[in-house]
Amino acid sequence: MDWDQFDLNPKTIAALKKADIKSVKEILNLSGADLQRLLKLSSADIQCLLKTVSHTLRRNSMLTALQLYQDKDHFTSQHQKLSLGCSVLDSLLKGGIPLVGITELAGESSAGKTQISLQLCLCVQYPYQYGGLESGAVYICTEDVFPSKRLQQLIDQQHKLRADVPAEIIQKIRFGNNIFVEQAADLDTFQQCLTRRLSLLLARGMARLVLIDSMAALFRAEFGPADSALKARYLQAFGAQLHSLSTRFRTPIVCINQVWYPIASYLVVGSRVTPALGITWSNQLLMRLMARRLWLPGHSPAAAGPGAGSRRTLSVVFAPHLPPSFCYYTVQLEGVKGIK
Amino acid sequence: MQLAVDVQIPECFGGVAGEAVFIDTEGSFMVDRVVDIAAACVQHCHLIAEAQQEEDHGKALETFSLENILSHIYYFRCRDYTELLAQVYLLPEFLSEHSKVRLVVIDGIAFPFRHDFEDLALRTRLLNGLAQQLIITANEHRAAVVLTNQMTTRIGQSQSTLVPALGESWGHAATVRLIFHWNNTQRLATLYKSPSQKESTIAYEITPHGFRDVQPPAGTAGTGGTELNPRKRPRTEEEKQ
Repeated sequence: MDWDQFDLNPKTIAALKKADIKSVKEILNLSGADLQRLLKLSSADIQCLLKTVSHTLRRNSMLTALQLYQDKDHFTSQHQKLSLGCSVLDSLLKGGIPLVGITELAGESSAGKTQISLQLCLCVQYPYQYGGLESGAVYICTEDVFPSKRLQQLIDQQHKLRADVPAEIIQKIRFGNNIFVEQAADLDTFQQCLTRRLSLLLARGMARLVLIDSMAALFRAEFGPADSALKARYLQAFGAQLHSLSTRFRTPIVCINQVWYPIASYLVVGSRVTPALGITWSNQLLMRLMARRLWLPGHSPAAAGPGAGSRRTLSVVFAPHLPPSFCYYTVQLEGVKGIK
Repeated sequence: MQLAVDVQIPECFGGVAGEAVFIDTEGSFMVDRVVDIAAACVQHCHLIAEAQQEEDHGKALETFSLENILSHIYYFRCRDYTELLAQVYLLPEFLSEHSKVRLVVIDGIAFPFRHDFEDLALRTRLLNGLAQQLIITANEHRAAVVLTNQMTTRIGQSQSTLVPALGESWGHAATVRLIFHWNNTQRLATLYKSPSQKESTIAYEITPHGFRDVQPPAGTAGTGGTELNPRKRPRTEEEKQ
């Protein structure tokens, strides 16, 4: 750290160098008394030091809520969101997925979470004016094989799903090239993926969406009930890293999560299902969405074929800017579409 | 967010006519939501003015508008605990320059301190230091300091309970503690620690307009729900001064 750059008096700068203090973080981590002892400076000098380094770190950091509201620049504005590729689903979310923060998409198997995720991988590649971020997606699989066939189907049908986008724009996008699939079946591999591969892809601007399918799978095999403290630490660490990447690169992180039922039976609207991973993980999230598949009376998951006798809903479980609400949707050849 | 709006209510409507500092560590300050809450508050005051027809009201309403409210919420985004510590060091100077600030919110205090901390002793010391500074700032500048905290699970002998995060010692930092929780689908707020009020729990709801009372069923004596920080998950809220 080059202390000469700071607006400090020479005595303070000399003291910092002599004490081998290397960062602002080190200074702020020490108490006033410790700093006095270490640097052999007066209390007034220490106060001055603290103010100066704080100023340098936090220079130009204030905004008023009005400025946030009026900011329409798509690089910085809160109004900019990642569209889901369907106007009904987008209006449920008041625009789409927020760009900074971790969004969870929870639901039982076959609810449609993977379908929505694949759709997002394509949506992110569209230009800003069509709700995209003009960049690719990183898809981290922890359990199942990546559904390439389905992805190809969706790519082929994009013109049908995105009738709002001119055909020549769709044709120009090389969808398959911009989706980076990573496999991470255990915690260590996942950790490596976060620190190396993911940081690299985001730093190079090659991706502006991260999908993790799924967090719960990473923890299922390795943790029994006695390991909850350790599991909590991992979850917090991962959450913090993802959060930090999301903030630095203004990139939405979407985590798919499974749910478990207190009782195994048909779903009734309003029944309580609990996403896996508990409160430790919930605390890391900006927003939680739940994909449900409701079986109409007289039908059952076992008896019926795909799609028959069931309704799918996407609901907002919590979000700082959305009321609890839901909408119906279907999964078709060209993708996921909301029903008004 | 609700508090950041309500602190600005003009005195003739029963408010404090102050400004607000909002320090965001989690990135959950969604300005569109603040706009909804602020618009509802302005609307509410207009209704009062119409009903009561007093001169002050009209004048106050000229400056109590959506843009005005938004322009008096000073927003700081802190991405890790070092930035938070630095911001709190700068707070007294900021409050001296902006003497109308009557509220400082830190949302949330736990987030930057709950990962990456191998050294819990350091964490405790830093949190204590923060608490001290905030108490001094609150007193010197006559501002309310409100912090939001997360809940965590404490594994007991036979069962686990939800308790506020950051440990026992942090519990001493706040003068007042409110715990938000759920009873099925009913939102509840419990006054858990207070120097002047006794422990009690009230129900509240969050509408598109913000925090509102729930109409109590006939026969129950509820303490009127004052408008509180909107939270959609169980969290604690701690208030100083």
